[in-house]
Amino acid sequence: MTVPPRKPLGNPLGTPLGSAGVLAKALLLGLALALAIWGAFPLVEHRDWLALAVLVAATVLIFWGYLSPRRIPAKYLLPGTVFLIAFQVLPILYTVSTAFTNFGDGHRGSKESAIHSIEEASVSPVPGTPDYRLNLAVPQGSSPADGPLVLVLTDPATGKERAARADTGTVTDLPSRATLTVLTDPQAARRGAELAALRIADGPGHIRTEGLERAYVGAPARSYDASSDTLRDATTGTVWKADGTTGTFVTDDGERISSGWRVGVGLGNFADVLTNPTISRYFGQTLLWNIAFAVLTVLITFVLGLFVALSLHHPRMRGRWFYRALLILPYAMPAFAMLMVWADMFNKDFGLINRLFGLDVNWLGEPWTARAAVLLVQLWMGYPYMFLVATGALQAVPDEVKEAARVDGAGRWTILRKVTLPLVLVALFPLLIASFAFNFNNFNAIYLTTAGGPFPPDSPMAGATDLLITYTYRLAFGGQGAQYGLAAAISLFIFVIVAVISLVSFRRARAMEEVNG
Amino acid sequence: MATPIPPAVPHPTGPSPSRRRGGVAHRVGWWRHAVALLCAVFALIPIVFVVSAAFNPRGTLGSTTLWPSGAGLENFRKLFTSTDYGRWFGNSLLISAAAGALSMFASACGAYAFSRFRFRGRRAGMTGLLLVQMFPQFLAVVAIYLMFTWITARYPGIGFNTSWALILLYMGGALGANTWLMKGFFDTVPKSLDESAKVDGASHAQVFFTIMLPLVSPVLAVTGLLSFIGTMNEFLLANIFLTDPEAKTLAVGLYGMIQEGNRDANFGLFCAGSLLMAIPIVALFLYLQRFIVSGLTSGAVKG
Amino acid sequence: MNEHRARSRAPDRAANPGLRRPCALGAALLGAVLALTGCGGDAGSGGSASARPVVTVWADDQRAAALKDFARTFGEKYGARVSVQAVSKDLQTNFVTASQAGEGPDVVVGANDWIGNLVQNGAIDPVRLSTSQRDSLEPRAVKAVTFNGQTYGMPYALENVALIRNTALVPDAPATIEEAVAVGQRLKGEGKVSEIMSVPVGQAGDAYHAYALYSQAGGYLFGRDAQGEYNPADLGLGTEASVRALEKFRALGEKGVGALKRTIGPDNAIPTFTTGKAPFLISGPWAVPDIKKAGIAYDIQAVPRFEGTGGKGGPFIGVQAFYVAAKAKNKALAQEFVAQAGGSERTAIALTEANPRPPALKAALAHFKDSNPDLGKFLAAGADGVIQPAIPQMNVVWDPFGKAEAAIIGGAPVRSTVVSLTRAVAGQIGLDPDKAVRFAGAPATTNHPAAGKD
Repeated sequence: MTVPPRKPLGNPLGTPLGSAGVLAKALLLGLALALAIWGAFPLVEHRDWLALAVLVAATVLIFWGYLSPRRIPAKYLLPGTVFLIAFQVLPILYTVSTAFTNFGDGHRGSKESAIHSIEEASVSPVPGTPDYRLNLAVPQGSSPADGPLVLVLTDPATGKERAARADTGTVTDLPSRATLTVLTDPQAARRGAELAALRIADGPGHIRTEGLERAYVGAPARSYDASSDTLRDATTGTVWKADGTTGTFVTDDGERISSGWRVGVGLGNFADVLTNPTISRYFGQTLLWNIAFAVLTVLITFVLGLFVALSLHHPRMRGRWFYRALLILPYAMPAFAMLMVWADMFNKDFGLINRLFGLDVNWLGEPWTARAAVLLVQLWMGYPYMFLVATGALQAVPDEVKEAARVDGAGRWTILRKVTLPLVLVALFPLLIASFAFNFNNFNAIYLTTAGGPFPPDSPMAGATDLLITYTYRLAFGGQGAQYGLAAAISLFIFVIVAVISLVSFRRARAMEEVNG
Repeated sequence: MATPIPPAVPHPTGPSPSRRRGGVAHRVGWWRHAVALLCAVFALIPIVFVVSAAFNPRGTLGSTTLWPSGAGLENFRKLFTSTDYGRWFGNSLLISAAAGALSMFASACGAYAFSRFRFRGRRAGMTGLLLVQMFPQFLAVVAIYLMFTWITARYPGIGFNTSWALILLYMGGALGANTWLMKGFFDTVPKSLDESAKVDGASHAQVFFTIMLPLVSPVLAVTGLLSFIGTMNEFLLANIFLTDPEAKTLAVGLYGMIQEGNRDANFGLFCAGSLLMAIPIVALFLYLQRFIVSGLTSGAVKG
Repeated sequence: MNEHRARSRAPDRAANPGLRRPCALGAALLGAVLALTGCGGDAGSGGSASARPVVTVWADDQRAAALKDFARTFGEKYGARVSVQAVSKDLQTNFVTASQAGEGPDVVVGANDWIGNLVQNGAIDPVRLSTSQRDSLEPRAVKAVTFNGQTYGMPYALENVALIRNTALVPDAPATIEEAVAVGQRLKGEGKVSEIMSVPVGQAGDAYHAYALYSQAGGYLFGRDAQGEYNPADLGLGTEASVRALEKFRALGEKGVGALKRTIGPDNAIPTFTTGKAPFLISGPWAVPDIKKAGIAYDIQAVPRFEGTGGKGGPFIGVQAFYVAAKAKNKALAQEFVAQAGGSERTAIALTEANPRPPALKAALAHFKDSNPDLGKFLAAGADGVIQPAIPQMNVVWDPFGKAEAAIIGGAPVRSTVVSLTRAVAGQIGLDPDKAVRFAGAPATTNHPAAGKD
């Protein structure tokens, strides 16, 4: 096997960049400026002065950073950091801030929007008023596109017509349509947004439309009174008081309206996490398995990946490229498809594994076999990744070093153990920690295979293969809608745990880094 | 195995790398083939099932066996006639290639800074990168969605249902995912190399582009490939960001095929689609293999 | 190392400031690329949007495909661009998320049990059905979309599970579950089938399918008040009836006769039947296309009663409906879309042909009376069924109930499992877990701390 000449990445060897470099830099900084200016227009249009200030500051920062000869690390960190902050850090900060609120289903928006939707949902036709047929029109001579809308209301029982004018807000009898231009369907459709927002007072209610061809006189049964901060139902007489601590409207005897709003609850969610027996009862057991899962996943995928990489790391081995192409296939196939196939293969009665090996193991039905199955799937999906990075790492081990060891009389095994592996570990240790952190929260690996199961009969809440993250998901989203606030609080707890574990390992990584110096 | 060297470069240490390597290498042991074959079988078993379903014209989840009971290209034909598969494929390739290339560059820059410079906030920065990765994404989706609502209202060209929205998002995750991987490799390149270059007057940029990057080209290739694969497979964000059938990616489109009620009937179609999806990945791997396995980095002698 | 020496021979170039910051070039390049595409996209989409009204519809993949024709017709009639978009996963959650952000579709298609959650998040508006619309629809369908006294959706199809049997193997309809099991056991003994029946269970259970059997065995989930509305305070899980019903599951399960097993789940239940491995299948109208494709002769009947029970139970009836998003941009047009999609006979027929389940529109159902008798049979199989509750508390029940079902089918003791189940559910919906367990001889519960948070 021959290896083609390397194509140098970046700057071609020894080609003077000089004036071309200056030119390119000026050009690209100019483009950055052009981009900033382009980005500014919509902000001005929307009057987003704060965002505009951020944009200007960022642009200044970029120019200042790249034109100054100092702060070299910043020049390298800037491109990634901009995206990191914008699309990772900001969303996370936002989410973390929800841990101190009751944010979740039923408590998503502001109080105003909750009141609005409660009132709107209580609108019903005023008894005794007809279900009108609707035609849209404009006064003759005005443009169908923006002339004042006239709602032509036909009482289906009598055939009598009335006209409700949007500009004057009046409803009058309409003896003849002669003074109007009736809109065609497409013309009416274009004014649909305007139509739906129209409220023309008529008797005890307002003319409201339902689609483009029906209208009725509707009135809300529930209305909000700002002075007493209450909501009252006119038909039943029920009064709900706004409860600012829970973000709900609640009657004196405790009946709540499910549409609430978002309020701060301080440390309430954290207190919940600590005092909720459902959480505390399974926390320890789940945490233990979670750590084992993450450690084992990293370990077995790394060991197998490295082993295969070592096996294929031989310059004269035939068919290496072929093996390698086959070996990365598990990583190349869509994960959810393969997880489905695996779940099928583990089926006790119909699955391939039991049939192939003549077993009768209820893989996904018993705690320990399910754990083994999950790990096996992880191994299958994960070792190509480790194989790839280990191959890269092996390539980076200088032959001279090995040669030197060989000259000193070391055998192949000794070279591998004393020279190659330590160097590979230096290169990969940070990655292994990152991999641990990733797998600690590997939601899909569990959710798509066992969904946390099997579940002991006495606990439908925590399964044998549950990770903290899948367990959190079930607690926060499996109940009465999504409880983002609670989920964020639990996540913060998990976060602290993983952070501590990883940082301790990180210290070791640092120690190794210093060795290399 | 020959390792061509740019002719203008004088060789400092005498014997050519190929001969040196020849000295280290031994006879290819049979066990290497045995390990490779065994692992290939392990890798392939579930995939054979997919292949079998893909080529079985009556391929359903229930009727599929490890060995195909029928053969034909019916599923592949249907893929292109009854779904938007071609378009999804194009979208996925565009997004993955762009995100992969851009993220490779961003993480290489970041890793260089973390590996080679000692600055205030360096350790905090690395730790921060790790921590950011640990945050469960399904929680952050709401915030990301709100953010892109804001962006879509102002810059529809990079908002919902555009490839750029996803590329931007994947870029955000790129630094965290690959910087750690790259930094480890950068650390293995002896510092003395760049230091002596600097003594000779090279700028940090020259060191980065002409010394570091070529030396770590295997890991650049690996990182590029990993980001490419990761983006091809990403589902959570793509599913909520791309609802327009024309804008969908392969992962989203394929998942849609096996939804409740269709899972059985479309299984063959789905498997055919999954197989084709693996082709660009394997092709890219085969192309990058020469960088990953070029062995040119073996010139990097310590000291 | 060779390369750096080569380069280090030219130190003069390093002094050139232009070379210093290639990263700056990279960053600017990124920006440039973004700028170019950003500009391009902006110019493309900005112009046409204001002129033509747009209706965006979110549905799952199957329904999105079925709606394409109607969408085109509607779009032509109103000069609008109707974009039917399939959201393959988490449609409801994504819709709520989008709605919260003021984004998202104008119309959503989904099951009636979403209504409670969509309403509490202010994501949908009521759909006010006219008297003639109400009269044209199957009453149960209208009831299903009614929540807090308002109708919230335009129903277009009903669905419920039934017992489907392979008539080549079982010519006569069994009258009881026991009879069906006996037939299945005999066929299994003769080697004609490998399973007694195919009921989706899976390792995590399947509460939706299980409910048909559970209710036939006398159990209930939530009681109902005088007006027939679900009463979340009356949790039926912890009753003696529930224990008796689940005893039947255990008897049918893996430690019993083996008719119900966890290795048959949602993924393989239908294939098990279509490949002839099982003579019976409990499933809904969505299974029929696969059965037909496999060429199996079949018939549909209600899930039979158990011997010795009254047999007044029935499956959950789910209703598929169109909803108008509260944040719809052109709400009048969205309302019109919903009214016409659900109200027109032609559309109902087209939707039913694309996706055969009993239509909610009576006229459309009559249309299929002869051409597709299956639809009527499914409807008849649901005659004693109950409408799938739209109350948010129901969401709490699905998952734990399914898991308890799976555990009991696997052979777990019924009483203690029911106690854990009841306590877990009661704790989550704010009931007193101790009072929720209401059967005599319940195992001691002192070691389970109360899970309610007050």
